[in-house]
Amino acid sequence: METVIPKTSTVFITLLRADLATLFSNRRSVIISLLVPVIILISWKGMIPQMGGPFALSTAITIGLMAIGLMGYTISISRDRDKGIFQRLRVAPVPGWAIMASRISIQLVMIMILTLAVFIVGFEYDKIALSAQGYLLTFAVAILGGAVYLSLGQLIVGLVKNPETVNATTRLTYFLFMMVGMFGEMGALGPQVKQGVHWSPYGSVKLMLAASMDPVKWNNDTTATVLVSLGYVIIFAGIGIKNFKWNTK
Amino acid sequence: MAIEDDKYILQVEGLYVNYGNFVAVNNVKFEVLKGEIFGLLGPNGAGKTSTLSAIEGLLKFKNGTIIVDGQDVQKKPLHARASMGVQLQSTSFQPELNVVQILQLFSGVYGVPMSKDQIKGTLKDINLEDAATKKFGQLSGGQQQRVSLVIATIHNPRLVLLDEPTTGLDPQSRRQLWERIEAIREKGHAVLLTTHSMEEAEAVCDRIAIIDHGRVIAIDTPQSLIDKHRDEPEVIAVSRRGKVTLEDVFIALTGSAVRA
Repeated sequence: METVIPKTSTVFITLLRADLATLFSNRRSVIISLLVPVIILISWKGMIPQMGGPFALSTAITIGLMAIGLMGYTISISRDRDKGIFQRLRVAPVPGWAIMASRISIQLVMIMILTLAVFIVGFEYDKIALSAQGYLLTFAVAILGGAVYLSLGQLIVGLVKNPETVNATTRLTYFLFMMVGMFGEMGALGPQVKQGVHWSPYGSVKLMLAASMDPVKWNNDTTATVLVSLGYVIIFAGIGIKNFKWNTK
Repeated sequence: MAIEDDKYILQVEGLYVNYGNFVAVNNVKFEVLKGEIFGLLGPNGAGKTSTLSAIEGLLKFKNGTIIVDGQDVQKKPLHARASMGVQLQSTSFQPELNVVQILQLFSGVYGVPMSKDQIKGTLKDINLEDAATKKFGQLSGGQQQRVSLVIATIHNPRLVLLDEPTTGLDPQSRRQLWERIEAIREKGHAVLLTTHSMEEAEAVCDRIAIIDHGRVIAIDTPQSLIDKHRDEPEVIAVSRRGKVTLEDVFIALTGSAVRA
């Protein structure tokens, strides 16, 4: 008798449904991803006329993307690997790529929610309005920016097996990127750090986002940051996927 | 190997698994007949779980062949997995999902989607209708085993693999699980289980293989193994109360030293 394997599309939709249910059951993680960007927009209200709307919005989205990629994705992958949840799925007729693609798709949903939340708070509270083209381009660039941090998260779970070490590493990376990125960009840590931040995952993602909100200001420097971001994605994801193990034993 | 030989549901031949320099499984060979309950016994670290993991497709092996229902697990892994139902040693599901959501997930990934009513009916069959909205972690050990076993057989597989299924269960739950394993066989499925319990092996297995240091050292029915070895001095030396049991044979064959 011929063995029938389930359709990949059926399997993928089933995984997606379960991962969505997991995401929305875990409200604390969703709130943490949205909280810091919203706090930034609220606390910077008085400074927005000087710094400009795109600067504030791009900072808020960048920090939200870091939280999604480093905290949401990485910690959930590390936990599920440690608990044997992936192993249970892998003994079913499920291709490994479908498990990961479903997880990444869920993070894309989170990226969309974050970007939308930042736009709404920016518009309602800080009166920041963009052109229709700016809004659309920012959504697209937010996905690329999100990919940078998701691939960084993949790098961490690829190189580190212990879930507690992954947890500590992602929190430290998130905190360092946020503090060094924000203060370094303002020049508070010196010109060399400012230059370093410019080409770092923090700076390149933020610059892309700011330029996408004001497309007329898109220049060669912005294009270079897009290429650098793509490079980060390829390198981080390449190493992270190559070294990834489905279990911690 | 006779892949077309239709009396076997599982054929393992020349299996070799190593972790660096450590050889976990060395030239293991055995077959499981259709409709048979087959036990894989061995001390800690003997190679039982590595053998099972290789069959399940969780680890790649360099040498050997594993055929599940005519499908080579290395060449056609998805087909082989679709023919198998698996209960892992420590099964865990997403802690955010409740029992209904977990059953929906696994019925979907095995290609047999179930409606909520069908799931309720299934839960009723295993006396878990009140646990439908509970998270997996909120269930007792026995309840978790029942859910895991339902998931392992949700797609009506021809071979069910159970890795130490009764570990941590109280006697009532253990007996209930044995009945469920018998029921699986009565439906025409074959079962391959690993266990440390000789009582369990004697109670439910048609045949057993004893594995030690990565090699199969004996393979037969429990009673035949006892009969074959009952007069050996090593067996008599370890037997207690004058009656030779499967455990005596097992200890005589694998040694009395405690394994890590």
